[in-house]
Amino acid sequence: MTASSPRTAAGPDRPGRLNPLTLLAAAGSTAVITTAAGSWPLSLTVLAASLGLSAAGGTARRVVAAAAAILVPLSLSLVMLHGLFFPEGTTVLAEWGPGRVTAEGLGFAGRRILQLGAVVLALLVFSFSVSVPDLVAALSARGVQGRFAFVLASTLTLLPAISARARRIRQAQESRGLVVTRGLLSRVAAFRLQAVPLVLSLVEDAGTRSAALEARGLSNAGPRTSYREVPDSRLQRTARAVLVLVAAAALVLRLVQAGASA
Amino acid sequence: MSSPSLTLPSQERPAARRRRLLEILGALAIAATYVYLVLNQPSDITGGPGSASALIALSGFLAGAVLLIVAVLPTLPASTLVLIPVALVLNIVLGQFVGSTLVPFYLDAIGTVLIAVLAGPAAGAATGALSSIVWSFFNPTVLPFAAGAALIGCLAGLAARYGLFRRFYLAPVAGFVTGIIAGVVSAPVAAFVFGGTSGVATGAIVSAFRAMGDTLLAAITKQALISDPMDKAIVFTIVAILVYALPRRARQQFPFLRRHRVLAGKAPAATTEAPAQGAARDN
Amino acid sequence: MDAGKAVRANRPVLAAGIRSFTFHDDETTALRDVTVSFAAGSFTAILGASGSGKSTLGRLLAAWLPPGGHGALAGFLELSGSRLEFDGGPSDPRIDPAQWGRHVGFVPQDPATVLSTVRSTVAEELAFGLENSGMERAAMKAAVGRTAALLGLHDQLEQDPARLSGGQLRRLAIGCAIITGPPVLVMDEPFASLDAAGADGLAAVVRDLLARGTAVVILSQAIDPLLLEAGTWVVLSGGTVTGSGPPAAMGTGSGVLPPAIRRPAPVPAPVAVSRPGVPQTGIPALQLRGVDFAYPAGPGARRRLRKAGPTGEPGGPPLVLRGADLAVHPGEIVAVTGPNGAGKSTLLRHFNGLLRPTAGSVLVRGADISGAPVGRTAASVGLLFQQPRDQLFERSALREVSFGLARLVGPALAAQRATAALASVGLADAAQEHPAELPASAQRLLALATVLARKPAVLALDEPTVALDGDGLALLDATVRLAAAEGAAVVLVTHDLGYARSVAHRTVALDGGRLVPA
Repeated sequence: MTASSPRTAAGPDRPGRLNPLTLLAAAGSTAVITTAAGSWPLSLTVLAASLGLSAAGGTARRVVAAAAAILVPLSLSLVMLHGLFFPEGTTVLAEWGPGRVTAEGLGFAGRRILQLGAVVLALLVFSFSVSVPDLVAALSARGVQGRFAFVLASTLTLLPAISARARRIRQAQESRGLVVTRGLLSRVAAFRLQAVPLVLSLVEDAGTRSAALEARGLSNAGPRTSYREVPDSRLQRTARAVLVLVAAAALVLRLVQAGASA
Repeated sequence: MSSPSLTLPSQERPAARRRRLLEILGALAIAATYVYLVLNQPSDITGGPGSASALIALSGFLAGAVLLIVAVLPTLPASTLVLIPVALVLNIVLGQFVGSTLVPFYLDAIGTVLIAVLAGPAAGAATGALSSIVWSFFNPTVLPFAAGAALIGCLAGLAARYGLFRRFYLAPVAGFVTGIIAGVVSAPVAAFVFGGTSGVATGAIVSAFRAMGDTLLAAITKQALISDPMDKAIVFTIVAILVYALPRRARQQFPFLRRHRVLAGKAPAATTEAPAQGAARDN
Repeated sequence: MDAGKAVRANRPVLAAGIRSFTFHDDETTALRDVTVSFAAGSFTAILGASGSGKSTLGRLLAAWLPPGGHGALAGFLELSGSRLEFDGGPSDPRIDPAQWGRHVGFVPQDPATVLSTVRSTVAEELAFGLENSGMERAAMKAAVGRTAALLGLHDQLEQDPARLSGGQLRRLAIGCAIITGPPVLVMDEPFASLDAAGADGLAAVVRDLLARGTAVVILSQAIDPLLLEAGTWVVLSGGTVTGSGPPAAMGTGSGVLPPAIRRPAPVPAPVAVSRPGVPQTGIPALQLRGVDFAYPAGPGARRRLRKAGPTGEPGGPPLVLRGADLAVHPGEIVAVTGPNGAGKSTLLRHFNGLLRPTAGSVLVRGADISGAPVGRTAASVGLLFQQPRDQLFERSALREVSFGLARLVGPALAAQRATAALASVGLADAAQEHPAELPASAQRLLALATVLARKPAVLALDEPTVALDGDGLALLDATVRLAAAEGAAVVLVTHDLGYARSVAHRTVALDGGRLVPA
């Protein structure tokens, strides 16, 4: 597939790593093409290739765990929904009361699961192998890109910090005599006691941080530079352009086809 | 050191028209996609995955959400920009907390609605869309819901703008209405992109409607109408509690609160306020 | 006023004449009639109790509180020869914070809040401000190297900023403020919660900056040793300047310094132990019997251990507490001391069951607490944490203290106890104020009052002296002694050996996981 090149996850600091935007283009175009094609052999290929790539990159366990958390409930839901109730289906395999297991329903569910699984895996392989600092540095620091990079990186940094603070607040409240019982009211009260200090301190800290970042030129209008060096090459830039064009072409082709057949 | 001016120009709004245009384009993309999907839905759904409808739902809603972000994000003040990541984390952390203690709602928009109330509809819409996009880093299936999330943020901001947070009992009402609209708009995504819902419990509800012979889109829309309004009513109530608990100093960071007198209490001009009145304000 | 004039006669690089500054929606002015000026290379200390308006003044000087944004300023700010006049109206000039920040660096009380959260190494964090001004990479590298050398952060350049120690984090925050070479540096309470080594490192940095011609302004509620070297002291009280001059003219006898400004207490000799003893008979209010504790090894910890090699404990994660024994009787005050990271807070969290021992037992009034939920044990054990705002959640101080009291003692007695507890920490007048709007010192005292109102059998305080001003310290001292006199067993954990010796009946040190008499 498109991303068959040296791994990034093996060593984020290794020379010769790929530009994160190239990875993003590869994963994104794979997702678009798979969705546009809607053919289950392709979905299966992408799925297998993604698994292979993540295994080679050493991220397989985390990717599979994350993918399973998403795909298992989704698959169960789809199989139950379309396996049992598919009024449009004609080939009835079994019937209980209102439920009719139809071949069409099962096929529909199966194809959907394969296709979604392929897209989810392709994107997760990207998420778990990209170096976020590189991605942030690769996005231009100005305008929308810079601000989007800020939001992405800051969220990933704050997630563990805020979870830890929520735990600390819970401990402090319990030390003041908070006992959470099973009753709904008790839980609602506990939520208020813990959410209020959490949100308050976060809003206050954000106020200080915004003053600090303003003073350090966050809103400067002029050109920016980047301290971190992100590898890039003409080859990669070309590859990115080609990937984006191919994905766009696949999209247009599919829509034109649909328009012609409708 | 060369020393450029220490002050900013007194008025600066060169990009306002471009921004407005992008906002309108974004909203149009979302609205047009929805209308198209609803008008053309039934024949296509069983046509198999990769159907044009899925692609249109994905690209239309996503393009709309991205246009909104492009329009709004560069114009936000630093104080709001810095708060957006906090809101995204709150969406997850508070949502998880409530999810584990309260019953079957997802409550994943607390941070988004909080920003919308503190900083206005544009900031709310951007936060909603960003929330989906950033979260798709871990769970790509939330990506197509970016437009719905943006809509929730925008509606919450409008509710705040027009004083629905000034009366404590109006907040859940505003949330209920927001939930109806957001649920209806998000249903085609679930129907055409996923062919169902991502959870087993919601899937069971959809199955029930399908058993009664509804089309997939109708069944999913009905399911959304059962859970979304209640969910958003709770979220809006929680946010009202949180915002009223903020001390004055913290609220000062947000000119939107003062300009539109979002919260009950003192008038925009600094009139003195009796402590007793402050204490009796909420509840 | 003549602040800064005493140092050098050249014209000030930064000056302010504040007739008044009022926050929006606030009825009282935060600052009035404050005139200060700072010459290049001058060293000024602005001294004031918690809530005196120090931080507001510092933020105004650094444009972290741009006039018009959060409040209305009447007066002027003058920087590097250009003077901006404000009258609080809409036609006021709007400060460009980024340009101002190139001239005036500011370090707030909590250094963690200045981190961008979007840079993954210390070097990149330092460079953030340079990137935004479009500096070439080679010049940035040179500037980062220079700044790191000045601050002693060379070995940390490739570390994650979130993993720095308190002292290192403070120096990084200073680095972020000075990397663009501003002629003025303002620091808010830089010494709070720094241990001796951290304070020495910071003092060296300040002397270096002064030698390079930077004007340094330190806002503080305590007279730290370094501040004795300042050219000028400006005393701030109630939002206005009540005195200023060289430190020599403002000694203890002059009466210029209010008692609320803390002086470093000389560490008394351990003779103080021989105060009238407390009968150590009967059932101890709190007893630890051979408590072992180790933090469970998470996946992250395990990875770290593996990286560190086979030097770790053979039988699993290292023990933070090993065989800790302690018995505290009613009426007794025991201080637990030890260096940072010795496990003092870990020990404290065992008293009410927030942490459970891996071996040994904890008894409160003779009963093992191992099965009881924390919230129930909390009725007998009042625990005060370091960070008061984690514990406060109500919208008025009175409601805060009253929380849960009625269930404990009935509504009539609850109201009486709440009022008494507020009065005992000097907050009777602040009963209706929002806890989050109180000054830091008052917040800690309020958190203390919430614990006192419940009259617990065991009172456990984690670093109670941090963030308290002089008045607060006196109140803390009185309330702790009173609680003990009324029969509470008090355990306080502190790195402030002077305070420990002055208040406690006996002092124990936490050393290698064991409690030994100190």
